[in-house]
Amino acid sequence: MFLKHIDLTTALRPAYLPDEVLLFVQDSVGLYEGICYVDNADPRKNSTAIDLKDVDRFEFYAGFLKSSAKITLVPKPSKRSSVQNRSISSLNTPSRSATASPLSRSESPFHLPAAEPSASSSATWICPICSFSNPVPSNFDPVTASAHTPLAPCLSCGIKPPLALVLKAAISGATNRSSQSTSLRSPMPVRGRADSSPRLPSDGTAYGNGGDTNASTGASFQCPRCTFLNHPSLLSCELCGAPLLSQDIPTGLDKPTPRNESPGPTLNHLPPPGMESNESIKLSFRGGGEKIFHERLKGSMTQRKWLLQGAPPVPKSTRSDNGPAVPGTTTPTGERIKSAGIAGLEQRRMEVRKNNELVIGNAFEDLEALMASAKEIVALAESFANSSGSSGSSEASALLAQSANALGLVTTKDMLGSGSSSESLYLSELARNLAEFLTDDARGVLRKAGGIISLVDLWAVFNRARGGVELVSPTDFEKAARLWGKLKLPVRLRQFKSGVLVVQGSDRTDEKTIKTLLAWLKDLHAFPPDEELSWDWQMFGRGVTAQDTAERFGWSLGVAEEELEMAEEKGALCREESIEGLKYWENWIVQDEPTASELAVVVGVNTSMI
Amino acid sequence: MATTAPPPTTTTSFTFPREYHFPPFFSRQTQATTHHAQCSKWSALIRAYSRAHKVFKLSLIDALDGELFHNAALHKRLSLEDARDMLDFMCREGRAEWIGAEKNVAWIWWRSPDEWAAAIADWVDQTGQKNSVLTLYELTESEATISQEFHGMDPELLQKALSILVKRGKAQVFGQEDQQGVKFF
Repeated sequence: MFLKHIDLTTALRPAYLPDEVLLFVQDSVGLYEGICYVDNADPRKNSTAIDLKDVDRFEFYAGFLKSSAKITLVPKPSKRSSVQNRSISSLNTPSRSATASPLSRSESPFHLPAAEPSASSSATWICPICSFSNPVPSNFDPVTASAHTPLAPCLSCGIKPPLALVLKAAISGATNRSSQSTSLRSPMPVRGRADSSPRLPSDGTAYGNGGDTNASTGASFQCPRCTFLNHPSLLSCELCGAPLLSQDIPTGLDKPTPRNESPGPTLNHLPPPGMESNESIKLSFRGGGEKIFHERLKGSMTQRKWLLQGAPPVPKSTRSDNGPAVPGTTTPTGERIKSAGIAGLEQRRMEVRKNNELVIGNAFEDLEALMASAKEIVALAESFANSSGSSGSSEASALLAQSANALGLVTTKDMLGSGSSSESLYLSELARNLAEFLTDDARGVLRKAGGIISLVDLWAVFNRARGGVELVSPTDFEKAARLWGKLKLPVRLRQFKSGVLVVQGSDRTDEKTIKTLLAWLKDLHAFPPDEELSWDWQMFGRGVTAQDTAERFGWSLGVAEEELEMAEEKGALCREESIEGLKYWENWIVQDEPTASELAVVVGVNTSMI
Repeated sequence: MATTAPPPTTTTSFTFPREYHFPPFFSRQTQATTHHAQCSKWSALIRAYSRAHKVFKLSLIDALDGELFHNAALHKRLSLEDARDMLDFMCREGRAEWIGAEKNVAWIWWRSPDEWAAAIADWVDQTGQKNSVLTLYELTESEATISQEFHGMDPELLQKALSILVKRGKAQVFGQEDQQGVKFF
């Protein structure tokens, strides 16, 4: 199944797999290492995701007339059918213009992008027999490849290559990619061409007669008549005036009328005869933002980070790194010798330093790489900070240690598109982020604060956990917190009478708080006090100060004061002002006495006097 | 003003209500409902106490140190301001009346003048003293009235009660100053 069910976090966001990173978020459409859809109405039931590594290729449709922009994702053929399909595609790739694929449907006016967007296409392996440069099959997946994976023979001499050779070529191709410009592999829609261009197998989506009317951002458009490269937004050629739209459709693009609600994903099932896997996913961009989404998708498809998953993230200093400079560290078989004493310690320090050098060196090679190795860099910076100044409190350092973790989870402003709705999207993502942060059991932010924390405290903790990057402004923070209710998240923002804003679980209502307070005060009736009290404590219990309450429930003093005042306001408590400060009591003043003793007193006095 | 201060030691055993032993009762409550409950409980307490101790006129300054407003066991006392508030509340209820604008002394109407007038008339009726002349002193201090609530009544209050009876035509007050007498019809 191409579409899979996803796990959601407490904040109704997709749960990340280990090492998964959020790349980009758009309203209703999120691109992770995989594309996730989270339904607004019934998030637990109607959410779905696609692994990007299952995506064979994607097509971009810019939108036309009333149909909005779309991106179609074509899944890789399932494992069973991959044997035959792979051979087809591997033959297809080098000579794509030669023949039409047997599966192509010529009636569809949509044309394949000129360049194969799939990452593996650029990798080549050199035949050890005839040294002909063969392309690595596009369906070749280094992660899943094994000795049983069928490999296409050399195109020149027909000898099958050894698996190791192809594997190496594929991986080096994938790693080289990040330094190359991605525009080379960007899909370039070709317009107006009538010849039968080949199609990759397993395309199940039939577009209407809309055709491809626009190019992706940054790509220019070739005029079918004079071959002048036009700006993609032009409707007719700048040079010769030839219309750049297909002939059979009327020109004059209408702005698509905005539709309010975006429906959830529906599966397209158009099984042409003889096809096994015929699914495809269309992402429709009614609210716009398709270009930037396409851009990001393109980027992540080319980077193919999931290929690196499982591979050691940092090159460890081994014998080959140290070389002859440090002789004797390793045996000829590559195993490390255990060296004892100061020499051994020094040597290990040296190794660590070398390794650090390597990490830092790699990280600053270019920014892309820096983003990729951000985790390691943060961890490294932390270890530096820990070793240099161990003055911070244990709690602070624990928080700092989480910052690397937090880095993988944060929503930053540059992850979002620059559309009109980006501000609100940022806020809602931030709100979800915060909710996750609060309900995270490992951190226990809310639990440690007794289930209630003031917004200011939370802001400080949150920004600290972000490790000094992408700090959130107080305004954004408050706005995001106000969105919790709307997003049905499990935390809520509450305003006390004095205007203090606090955060607590949405299940914690005032009634519940009063109940716990009263239960506590009731307990005080039962336990004899430490010192002699002048009143009947079994009857009235004891008065409690905000300090007592804060200690009892683990609240901060301000919160305790506010909660007590709230309970007083509701009539559950009453106050006693004395030199010891303000104390709160169960409200025996409002409660009526069981016996009208005042009357009894009067009667008693009268009778005694008679 | 001998009557305004509560008798220092009385043989009557006045039982204070439960709230009197509750520390917050002596602090001003801010919450509206609680404050109202506090006021009415204080009003009841003051009236009950005044009745038990035959207090007709309450001087706040003096009473603040008395047991009514000062719970020695709790080391709690009602502040002058709060006590004044309580009496204000009683005035609104018709259960007290300030004497003078400076609000230091107040009548505590644990019986209103009307009720006092009725009580006196009843007593006169019951004892068959209609149409006979009694001195005011006799009315409040003689042994004959010792079982009556108006025994030891404040002369001013007695004047008020009698004037009500006079208005109704049930009595006539004559004489002057200390020598006043009253005739009931």
